[in-house]
Amino acid sequence: MTAPATVGSTRTVGSSTLRIEDLRILTGRGRYVDDVKLPGMLHAAFVRSPLAHARIVSIDVSAALALDGVAAVYTGADIAAKTSGVVPLVVPEGHKFEPILALAVDKARFVGDPVAIVVADSRYVAEDACDLIDVEYEPLDAIATFEQALDPGGPKIFESLDSNVLFEMDSSYGDVDGAFARADAVVRQTFSQHRVAQMPMEGRGGVGDFNPETGDFVYHTGTQSPHTVKAYIAEALGIPLQQTRTINGDIGGAFGLKIACHREDIAVCAAAYWLGRPVKWIEDRNEHLQSSGQAREERMELEAAVTSDGTILAMRGELVLDQGAYPAVPFVGGGIVGMVAAMMPGPYALAGFAMKSTVVASNKCTYSAYRGPWAVETWARERMIDVVARHLGLDPGDVRLRNFAPNDGSASMLSGRTLLDNSCAQSLERVLELADYPRLRREQAAARAEGRCVGIGFATFLEAAPGPVNRAGGDERSVARIEPDGTLSIFTSQAPHGQGHETTLAQIASDEMGIALRDVHVYHGDTAVSPYAMFGTGGSRAATMASGSVLHSTRQVKEKVLAIAGEMLEVGPQDLRIDEGFVYPAGVPSIRVSLAEVADRAYQSPEDLPREIEASLEAEASYDGGIGSWSDGTHFCHVEIDLETGQVRFLRYLVVEDCGRMINPAIVEGQIRGGVAQGIGEVLYEWSAYDEEANYLAGTFMDYLLPTASEIPTIEIEHLANEPNEEVFYRGVGEGGLLIAPAAITNAIEDALSPFGATVTEQYLPPAKILELAKIISS
Amino acid sequence: MTTRDVTIRVNGVEHHSTTETRRTLVDFLRDELGLTGTHVGCEHGICGACTVLVDGEPVRSCLMLAVQAADASVETIEGLGTPEELSPLQQSFRDSHGFQCGFCTPGFVMTALALLRENPDPTEDEIRHTLSGNICRCTGYQSIVDGVQRAARAGLGSNAEVVR
Repeated sequence: MTAPATVGSTRTVGSSTLRIEDLRILTGRGRYVDDVKLPGMLHAAFVRSPLAHARIVSIDVSAALALDGVAAVYTGADIAAKTSGVVPLVVPEGHKFEPILALAVDKARFVGDPVAIVVADSRYVAEDACDLIDVEYEPLDAIATFEQALDPGGPKIFESLDSNVLFEMDSSYGDVDGAFARADAVVRQTFSQHRVAQMPMEGRGGVGDFNPETGDFVYHTGTQSPHTVKAYIAEALGIPLQQTRTINGDIGGAFGLKIACHREDIAVCAAAYWLGRPVKWIEDRNEHLQSSGQAREERMELEAAVTSDGTILAMRGELVLDQGAYPAVPFVGGGIVGMVAAMMPGPYALAGFAMKSTVVASNKCTYSAYRGPWAVETWARERMIDVVARHLGLDPGDVRLRNFAPNDGSASMLSGRTLLDNSCAQSLERVLELADYPRLRREQAAARAEGRCVGIGFATFLEAAPGPVNRAGGDERSVARIEPDGTLSIFTSQAPHGQGHETTLAQIASDEMGIALRDVHVYHGDTAVSPYAMFGTGGSRAATMASGSVLHSTRQVKEKVLAIAGEMLEVGPQDLRIDEGFVYPAGVPSIRVSLAEVADRAYQSPEDLPREIEASLEAEASYDGGIGSWSDGTHFCHVEIDLETGQVRFLRYLVVEDCGRMINPAIVEGQIRGGVAQGIGEVLYEWSAYDEEANYLAGTFMDYLLPTASEIPTIEIEHLANEPNEEVFYRGVGEGGLLIAPAAITNAIEDALSPFGATVTEQYLPPAKILELAKIISS
Repeated sequence: MTTRDVTIRVNGVEHHSTTETRRTLVDFLRDELGLTGTHVGCEHGICGACTVLVDGEPVRSCLMLAVQAADASVETIEGLGTPEELSPLQQSFRDSHGFQCGFCTPGFVMTALALLRENPDPTEDEIRHTLSGNICRCTGYQSIVDGVQRAARAGLGSNAEVVR
């Protein structure tokens, strides 16, 4: 065989390598949780509360149990008697909660609260049986609004807690009062973020499988956090952790929702455990819409101390977050507001920042993580900057550029983190250049003169992906192993669900080892073989954390390969190279051994190796993120509003961003565009609506509107090519698109409507709201 | 439980079955035939994840009963290429990095296949309009539209995708 001519010619990091995952997903060979079929498997369905807040007086399950094909019905009483309540894992001090049981016991606390689980031969029969269960409810007054939740005299959602206010926190950095005292003006505005949902195309689900002979329990599911779900199931059911295992297949999207262990996961596993037969639950879309998780219901009253030249001296505000009824495990609302306060100063050089944060309970679905969970700070801050600019008669670009902290390595956010290596100013200047901003402003003036309603908006974000030196999420682990056939296996603690990690981590490993991409296989999502992680895929961690871990585990295995190959070739390991799966002395590619031959020596004939050389081709490495740094950028949005219909049309959507060195540009751009699309949906279409009695109003896709190919414009992206300053300089891009798009879009809409004196204070802007802001209709 | 005997041709193979009359076509395909490439996304005809072709026309297999497909010819994602040999349309989607999580993917592929058979050279607006019956939550659609355009440019005419 002819050896490769050029060392390193096969490197793939930095190229839009085609995805390995696509071979199965494009041919219908993916294996999602609903595709799991086990012998003797039963099917579960839930009876759910139709009322927001109600005492459960009685449950009659006799007719359901009598139905042919029904194996069991369990109610809250069974769950309370035989399982343990679980508690959130990440809880700030003083955050109140009750341990969470899988089913409602005495009270239902939101529309969709699971009250009973039916297990039957088929999903069809299980649903028939649900209809035969008679639950008598005594309705209670419900908490639907911030005001109701904050009212100490209101009905209590959890009787053991003294109020519906669950957590309060004061954050203050710098000289806030001094800054407000010397301000030329104080600009005040309240920004409200409506409740939306992650809405992956695959809902939740799982198959619990208990083997009474061995005591082993396996939960087949689709979770972002396999090890955390495993731990919660073991705890709730009272089974040994080491005999509990979760296994993911493909996951049809998650966006933060599936980082939690859900109450239904526990109920399904309990049923499987008690019955000793596999039990499958696949949520339907109505269940998903009302019961799975929702996000982003926050209100921020904000004031900015400014000088007349546009310097923002300080900001202070009050934030309230509606956590819904049951807290998410592992992450509660108090953790979210903590992130909001820590991130809110952003890339700007403030002298003071303060936030008073409150988390309340309501009779709504659980507030759960959604792609950039702290996003309200980005939206409110970037909205406020535009409000300040308009108040002072300044250009919003000039105000941002005036206030960016210096990027010479000296500046830190007031809340502590260094702003090292951010490209915020650069991205803003570049996006304005690409958009030909001055020309657009002139054209806007001309368009307005013709009666057209055209707006320009932009906004800048920092995404902690992973952020400067931050081990709070835990280090990231991986195992690399050369198999007997010379291929390379990577075991990651990531739990990918669309991010293409089977490709990107293989690219990293392939380049590092010098092995063809097709000979690298990435394993994930099985707690029996996946290294531990507190959570798997989330928080934009993979690009830096998982890549760094895979780089180092592969490097360690490479050293083992070189030691063995050095013996085989009688060449010092330091003089060896590996390319396309062959090890050879530098400059002499014709003398070589293959990785398969090295593996054969290690595994089949270690007796031919000196005793001091270990016959192992496996290594685990953990990675702490190095110095870490930011992903960041500026989004620019040019819109035209139809004042007859209230519809918003995108004339242009531009992104300039910096995520360090890209592993796979097509995957990076897919993440950004997907995030922007969710941002467009959030502003213009999506609302997890409740009425004032906490009745849920968006139970179908005809009520909860998702944007389609007709609504999402072409999104242009330019990457800033800043030189990496360390080896692992790949930054995450999972959250940035959704973090910033709502700000860019609402800034553009407010700009378009500014001739009508409009100020956008609510993020949800459906056509009726647009026409109201344009004073064409009244509210 | 009411049942009926049906014969349904799926990807060129005839299947004789006694099926419950209330069973949806998608459940029939997935549970009785084991063709799990067709996905259930909303069960109310909006998301398009369950799109298959019935006598060449794209339909929501969550809204159609299996018995309604009696004597019809059904095409599913499994009738196109294999991981070893993608069909030209699948290859175009792969080349465009069309999809991410993959759950909506089979529905989009089938919708795009029907479009290209009928209109081998669609405009971007025509592609977006046709695809607007399928929801993707991951991509922002641009890469999917690009995949269809790439397939059209490659000259996928009405006969390019041979169903086995």
